[in-house]
Amino acid sequence: MIKISPAELKTIAQYIQDISGIYLDQSKSYLFETRLSSIAEELGCSSYQELYNKAKKDPGKIIERQIIDAISTNETLFFRDNGPFELLKHKILPEIIDLRTPSSPRLKTNIKIWSAASSTGQELYSVAMTIRDLLGTQIDKFNFKLLGTDISDGAVKQASYGKYNKFEIERGLPRQTLQKHFTLFGGSWKVKDQLRGMVNFRKLNLMLPFTGLGKFDIILCRNVAIYFTLADRKKLFNKLADSLADDGFLIIGSTESLTGICPRFIPKRHLRAIFYQKKN
Amino acid sequence: MNNLTILVVDDDPVIRRLLEQRLIREQYEVLLAEDGHKGNDLLSTNHIDVVLTDLMMPGEIGGIEVLEFAKELERNIEVILITAHSSVDTAVEAMKKGASDYLQKPINFTELFLRLEKISTMRGLLRSAEDLRQAMDVTESTAAETIQNLEIIAGTLQDQVDSIENILTSDTMMIEDKISKSLNVILNWK
Repeated sequence: MIKISPAELKTIAQYIQDISGIYLDQSKSYLFETRLSSIAEELGCSSYQELYNKAKKDPGKIIERQIIDAISTNETLFFRDNGPFELLKHKILPEIIDLRTPSSPRLKTNIKIWSAASSTGQELYSVAMTIRDLLGTQIDKFNFKLLGTDISDGAVKQASYGKYNKFEIERGLPRQTLQKHFTLFGGSWKVKDQLRGMVNFRKLNLMLPFTGLGKFDIILCRNVAIYFTLADRKKLFNKLADSLADDGFLIIGSTESLTGICPRFIPKRHLRAIFYQKKN
Repeated sequence: MNNLTILVVDDDPVIRRLLEQRLIREQYEVLLAEDGHKGNDLLSTNHIDVVLTDLMMPGEIGGIEVLEFAKELERNIEVILITAHSSVDTAVEAMKKGASDYLQKPINFTELFLRLEKISTMRGLLRSAEDLRQAMDVTESTAAETIQNLEIIAGTLQDQVDSIENILTSDTMMIEDKISKSLNVILNWK
């Protein structure tokens, strides 16, 4: 493994923050080495400075994408931390459905949900499964639009494909749910079309403006802002407030806090979970 | 002592005994079955980490059926098939059904022990990952409870501050009223 020098740490840490918003602690040099060494070696670089120079000069930004894929944490699982899904099932979805039920049965209203750091897709598919299980055949009364975005091309690709190996599947998915929503495909499990048809995934850097996304009824932005600096966290949640409908709901990670970060949101409690809504 | 329990399913008594001796010498726990029926029985009643089964056996339960039964019972179980050279294609098919590996007859024990060691290492890694994840879950849920309580308290306090600010900056109230109303906000908060 190529060793990283203190000067390189500074350059690379700043570079990563610039391209992704991810703030890495410079005292953890092993983190840089374990994640970037193989990219440097593959490109024939003998130092991280050389990797940096190559990445900056790469017109197709392929190296930049590889670095983002390597540095971003894709730790996720189906129904990760059950709280938000119970919250969706018992509180948020019923309320949004009440609010958005059209006056005439011939009209269909959109319900837009956004998983702002969707990683390999497990969170958004879990939301889709929660909706299907809750609504049953009533689902056709609405036009559910579920969007997942992530900064990592690799993660977006896997999420779009909707195929998971046995280790990814075994974490968090009860057998009954698995058989209802997935089909065995080779040695892996593939999301069934009815579920796949509800969701869309695309690449998005949360540090850049959210153009063309419109307003959402529900936003999930869990365990991503923890990798950002305080200043970037403030900017992010302010933009999320702009992207949320006035009566919409925001869910953040269970150990995250918006106190001192975004005064536009107020926390509300439902049973053991918390969600946020915009201040009037 | 190796920590894996291995079930050997083979109709040939010579191979069964040979595998038993060699595996025991390597300190593995070994269970033996002379056909698929017995194999499935042992699978149902014992905790088994690895199944080492002959692919072709007389009777209605062959190696593939043992594989399917084992996987149905416990998705994490590892199944290694023992095949004659002529049935390599079937063995490859079996890999698609979840077999971890196949060995050709005559059994090369060095190869077999290498594979078992790999399985053992992999299991150890998975186990520590699972332990770490559990430790993280406990830490996370404890932290979440504290943070969420604080979040609600901070939200309530912020509301109080906002109300008091509204009162104090009002142009229509006398200062005495402002003070008494502000005190009311603090003392009578729900």
